[in-house]
Formats: sequence, structure tokens, C-alpha cells
Amino acid sequence: MKKLLRSSVCALAVLAVGPSLTIADETCNSPFTSALIKGQEDFLHVWTLGEVGVGDESDKLVTIDVQPNSPTFGKVINSVSVGGRGEAHHTGFTDDRRFLWAGRLDDNKIFIFDLIDPSKPKVVKTITDFADKTGFVGPHTFYATAGRMMIQALSNGKTHDGQTGIVVYNNAGDLISTHPMPLDNGGDGYGYDIGINPAQNVMLTSSFTGWTNYMMDIGQMVKDPEAMKRFGSTMVMWDFKSMKPITTMQVPGAPLEIRWSLRPEDNWAITATALTSKLWLVKQNEKGEWQAKDVGNIGDPSKVPLPVDISITADGKGLWVNTFLDGTTRYYDLTNVEAPKEVYSKKMGSQVNMVSQSFDGKRVYFTTSLLANWDKKGNDNEQWLKAYDWDGKELVEKFTVDFKAEKLGRAHHMKFSAKPTKAAALGE
Amino acid sequence: MRINRHLPLAVPICISFFSVLLVGYIFSKPASSDIEIAIPLGLPPLEAHQRPVKRQVELGRKLFFDRRLAFNNTNSCAMCHIETQGLTSNQSATAIGMEGRSLNRNAPALYNVAYEKTLFHDGRETDLAQQAWSPLLSSLEMANPSIGSVVDRIRGLEDYKGLFETAFDERGVSMETIGAALASYQRTLLAGNSRFDQWYYGKKAGALSDDEKHGFEVFAGKGSCATCHTIGEKSALFTDGNFYVTGIGYHTAIGAGSRVSKVQLAPGEFVEIKHEDMETYSAPRLNDIGRFAVTLDPKDRWSYKTPGLRNVELTFPYMHDGSLSTLEDVVEFYDKGGYEHDGDRVLQPLGLTAKEKADLVAFLKSLTTAEDKAKHSPYR
Repeated sequence: MKKLLRSSVCALAVLAVGPSLTIADETCNSPFTSALIKGQEDFLHVWTLGEVGVGDESDKLVTIDVQPNSPTFGKVINSVSVGGRGEAHHTGFTDDRRFLWAGRLDDNKIFIFDLIDPSKPKVVKTITDFADKTGFVGPHTFYATAGRMMIQALSNGKTHDGQTGIVVYNNAGDLISTHPMPLDNGGDGYGYDIGINPAQNVMLTSSFTGWTNYMMDIGQMVKDPEAMKRFGSTMVMWDFKSMKPITTMQVPGAPLEIRWSLRPEDNWAITATALTSKLWLVKQNEKGEWQAKDVGNIGDPSKVPLPVDISITADGKGLWVNTFLDGTTRYYDLTNVEAPKEVYSKKMGSQVNMVSQSFDGKRVYFTTSLLANWDKKGNDNEQWLKAYDWDGKELVEKFTVDFKAEKLGRAHHMKFSAKPTKAAALGE
Repeated sequence: MRINRHLPLAVPICISFFSVLLVGYIFSKPASSDIEIAIPLGLPPLEAHQRPVKRQVELGRKLFFDRRLAFNNTNSCAMCHIETQGLTSNQSATAIGMEGRSLNRNAPALYNVAYEKTLFHDGRETDLAQQAWSPLLSSLEMANPSIGSVVDRIRGLEDYKGLFETAFDERGVSMETIGAALASYQRTLLAGNSRFDQWYYGKKAGALSDDEKHGFEVFAGKGSCATCHTIGEKSALFTDGNFYVTGIGYHTAIGAGSRVSKVQLAPGEFVEIKHEDMETYSAPRLNDIGRFAVTLDPKDRWSYKTPGLRNVELTFPYMHDGSLSTLEDVVEFYDKGGYEHDGDRVLQPLGLTAKEKADLVAFLKSLTTAEDKAKHSPYR
């Protein structure tokens, strides 16, 4: 009951303060996530894929101390193996930030970690019937709404192709509803990410590919014409409250991560297409119709650098874009969002996938793993977390955790947490 | 319909020509008291050992579609032999297995598997009930650690309680009954009564267009397709069940051909990527020597079984490794005389005209069963 009350209070707080205080990565969390960490984060949780020949070979949630004043700064302080390899991928906080949901794209298990002591996350529930109950597989994006967890799936259990949908659970882990991705009015049925703009009552979704492709060796896939035909080319704008599609926009080449601008006066979102290596802007035209517009290339699209994760600054003026195949992070000036300009780049290693920045943008963290069979092979299969300071001009490395040397596995999705006194400081 | 088990095996019921055209089916007379199956027009009668056992079919279907039969609950038989994708997978050239592991062959389409004398592209198995255990235990596919673990898992599933006992006269879950049930279901996957059958065996003159009829002439004549994809007087499986070299196996094994791939990034948008530039992110490809792996006879190196062609329109991509995307590609491949094989060229160029090639493809598409096409939904 106390937990329910707390959730309700948080939801009311969201409504009361409006989206400007609550949208944020720290800036890529759902706008319904309370208790954003606007100061120094204490812990970084890395959802890590088990790797054959590495440690216990199991997926695990790795917790790293990122508090500079701590004697264990930059060290792994906890690791929770969940058993087996199921293609660990993304995580998401519940709206009250008490629990972290972590999904696996292959066996569809969802682990709910209690972060009451964020230095020692504990699994309190495992959802094992996601595929049986919903018909979808590949729980990818975990996106909190008031008292609910919205999950974007990538595929389905009948064909393992890209026809999929969105699933809604309550915070207790009970299934509430399912919502197929649209197949009419230009919809292609694919799914990937979710981004909600509460002020506009709109939800934006993007599109990737099905189980067969995301589980397959990427080198094999690139040479396979049938496989390469099967990627999403759309983004869908939904009426959030009714969960009905408003319009489907053509965005060729697998549009992935969605980031709404966090500035209150802005009303646009940005995404990157993985295959065609472009930034796309989603905004309304003069008639109020949502449209997607190609606003620039990422690197040299003919070389397919494979843009993956992106992270927007809290002021909506900057965007980190990682390109996986050349192992490079790029920073774009979004002052004119109609014409983003790459102003900085840095070779991070042989491969780089995820990027997460603190709310003030001063600290940026990077990890390496994309998907187990898409990661590079042999010596190019570097697996690490790297932490940097960012002064607006240069990334300065603070520490690295070598996930191979530590026998952990493939480092993937990151989430911040703070000691309880900080976590309660909503609007600090 | 119950049939006396002492009736002669597989004697077609004589029904009128008009009725054949009307319903499109000939009913065989099965031997077992609990066997009942309709044989589509154009297929031969099933011999006793090829017939599904009615009580086992539903259980076999349940097993076939059950993702819990994979070690990690992720893959069923039906995930590679997809009901809406021609009982193969239209999504990739070769099958994708446990944790995304790459197999080196295209998932065989299962249409008319009841008639097959050998199974798999290399023919390494000879009994459909035994065949199921290869993917169940392969570390690349369903990756179960042992026979016993599969048997115990099914025994422990509440929704299987009593089903085996009912289907197998009180015999419970075992290696034998699991295989037999799966085989019974797969033996129902018959494809016939295509427009070709209605024309050729049903004598319905208008069932094929003139172009398709011309394509049949090419198939049986200048194209020499029917040499291996055989057509009988009363029925056709479009396979002789034998093993042949076309050059594709050798071509792949030695890494011949283009070292550049044309890669689709989005509809209508392509780039060319050199294979050397893919090396850092490409896993080594499993070598494949074909039938040789079964016989150890050097003449069987890179030879593969002739596939049946019914529903071939639905079963793309083609060849044992899925390396040809379309029927047009396949016809072009054979027209050019295949690939060189170990210093030799086994096939000869056909010299087909553009019209002959187009009509041959049109004919191949006439081998489609309407009910199977209605189920087909290959996109995504």
C-alpha cells in the first residue's frame, strides 16, 4: 500500500510540475520517472550479456561505483548473475525509480531488480511468460508511465519476423494490455523504441527488425539479401491516452533511439537511422501534422558506420551519437536542429554502442556491446565501460572497467542510481 | 472414415473424372484402422509406413509448435519451418538456431516430407520419426543436452499429461513416441492439387495458361529439369530423391565468386561492401561438404539431394544454402550451366531464350497449392 501511495504521489508530482522538470538521460529516462539525479550519480548499473568462455557465462547486472569521493570509485562493487544467456539488452526504471526492469531479447525473461539499496540490487520478480501471454518476443524498451511499465517488443513468437507490438504491465508485473504495431496506413509492423511527450499527449515509436536478424551473426546478415529486406522503415506517432496511431511516417533504414527535446519551448524529437546513417527530425508542420525530416548524415553513410545509441543534452542543444562499426562517438550541435552539425568526434575503441550522460552533461559513459552476434569478433571484440568528463570541448577519461578482464561479459545498457537521500530529491 | 486394415495397400478409390476436377482430391485407402488422410491430386498414395496416425497427429502438431522443446524455450520446429513461409524460413538464406547460431544450410521446406526416403539436404537420416532428434540435440539448433532431458521436460509439462498415453495405447513419453508423434504431424503436410495437377492429371485444359504450358515443355525438354525433378504418369513429387552436384557447394566452400556484396540499406537503397571490410564482424562460416559427410565417398563431395518443387514459389530463398533469392535466379543459374566444381563443370549451359526462361518460371509457379499460398505471409 505504501508503495502504491508513493507511486501515486510521484505521478501527481509529474502532472503538477509538468514535463520540463521530469523529462530527462539521465536524459533518456521516461518523463514519468521521478527523482531524477541532477547532481552526481553514485552508482552505474550495467546490464551485461553473458559470453561463452567468460566467467560464469551468464547475463548479469553489474554495479559500478561512480562517486569520485568513494574509495571504490571506478570499481565493480556488485554483480548479480541471473542465469544463462538470453540476450540481455535494455532496462528501465519504474516511475517511482524503486525498481529496475531488465529484459532479454532471446528467451524473453524480464528481471525486476529492487534498488532500495542501489549498491546491491536484488531480483524480486522474474516474468517468464512474456511470449506466451502476449504473442510477442524480444522485450526491448522499458518505459515507465504512471504506475505502469510499457514494453516495446521487437518480434513475435510465431515467425520470429519483425511484426510486433507494445505491452503494458502494472508495476507489480501483471499484464494489463497489448497493442500491435500498425500494419495499415503505411505501417510496417516493426517496433524498437518508445518516446512520450506528455504535454502533447503523443507517443512516438520507431522500428528495427525481428528475432531472426537481431540474433544472427551480423556479417552473415549483411551478405544475405533476404535478411536485409527485413528492417523497419517507419516511425509512428500515437495518441498516447487512447493508444491509437495518429500517423505513420516513412523513415527508411531502421530508425532506432528516440529523444524528445527536453526544453519546455521545444516540440520535436530526433532519431538516427542505423542502416542509412542519418539524423531525422520529427516535428509538426504549419498544419499541426507530424512529419519526419532527414536533417543530415552521420559520418559517411556509404561506409555504413552504423549509428546506434544517441543521448540528448538537457538543454536540447547537443546530441551524442555513437557509430558502432567505426567505434566512434560524435557530438552534434543542435542549435539549429534543422541542420545538426558534428563538432566533435573521438575514436573510443574497436566498437562502441551505448552512451549515457549525466543530467548536467558533465559526465558521459560509454559501453561496447550491441548484440551478442553483432559484436565484433576476435581481438576487436573489446568489452568495456569507459567514464569521461566532458567540458564541452574534449572527453577526458576518468576510468575504464575492462569487462573481459573482470570476467563479466559484454557491457550493454547503463542506468544511474544514487544513494537514497539523493534519490528522493525530486526537483533539487 | 474407418478403413479395414486388410484392404490392399494404397489403392486409390475410383471416382469419376468430374469429381476429381470438382474436389481436387483422391482418397487413398490406408491400412491402419485409425488412419484417415486425403491424398491431394497429383501425389502418389502413401505407403503404410508413410501414413500419419490420426491419434498422433494433434500431439505431433503440439510438439512441432512448442518453443519449450528448445533448451532455452526459444525455438520450436515451426520457427525454422514456418507455416506462413512455405514451411521453411523466407527470412534468411540459412537457418538461425540456438542463441542465434548460424547453420550452414537453408531450412528444407517440409511439403510432402512423408514421401522422402532420406532426410536433410545430405540425406543423413532415413526415418522421419528418428530425424526429429537431430535438431533437438544439435548444439546449433535446439541444443538440448540429452535425450533424457527432453523426455523429462515433456513429462513434467502439465499440458501434456495423458496425451502420449492416449495417442500411443498407454505408452508414455519416450524418445520413440516423441519422434513418432512429430512424424505423424509432418506426414500430413501434403501439397498437391495445384493448377499443374488439375491440368496434367485432372485433364482440365484451361488450368494452365499457354505460357505455363510452354514452360512445362521447357521443364520436361530443353531445360532437362525433369531429369531430376521427376514427373510420373500418375503422380509427381518433382524429385528423384538422389544427390547431385551443381557447383554451388564447391563454389561456396572455396570462397569463389564475388568478394563484394550489394547490401540493401532501405527499400531501393543499396551500397556495395567488400567482404574484407566485413571480416572484423563476421563469424567464420561453417564448412559444408554435402553428402560426403554421410558416405565418405569422394564423389559425394558437395552433392545435395534434389528437392521437391511443389509450392516452390513459396519456399524462397533457394538451393541448399539459400544462395539464390528468386526463381528467376535459379533458372539463370542452370541456364548458365551452374558453377565450376573442382575443376570440372558438371552441368551444361541450356541456351534458353528469354521467353523460355520466363515461361519456365511461370510454370514453376503453377505448382503452388492454393491453400498454402493463402497461408503465405513472408514479409518482415
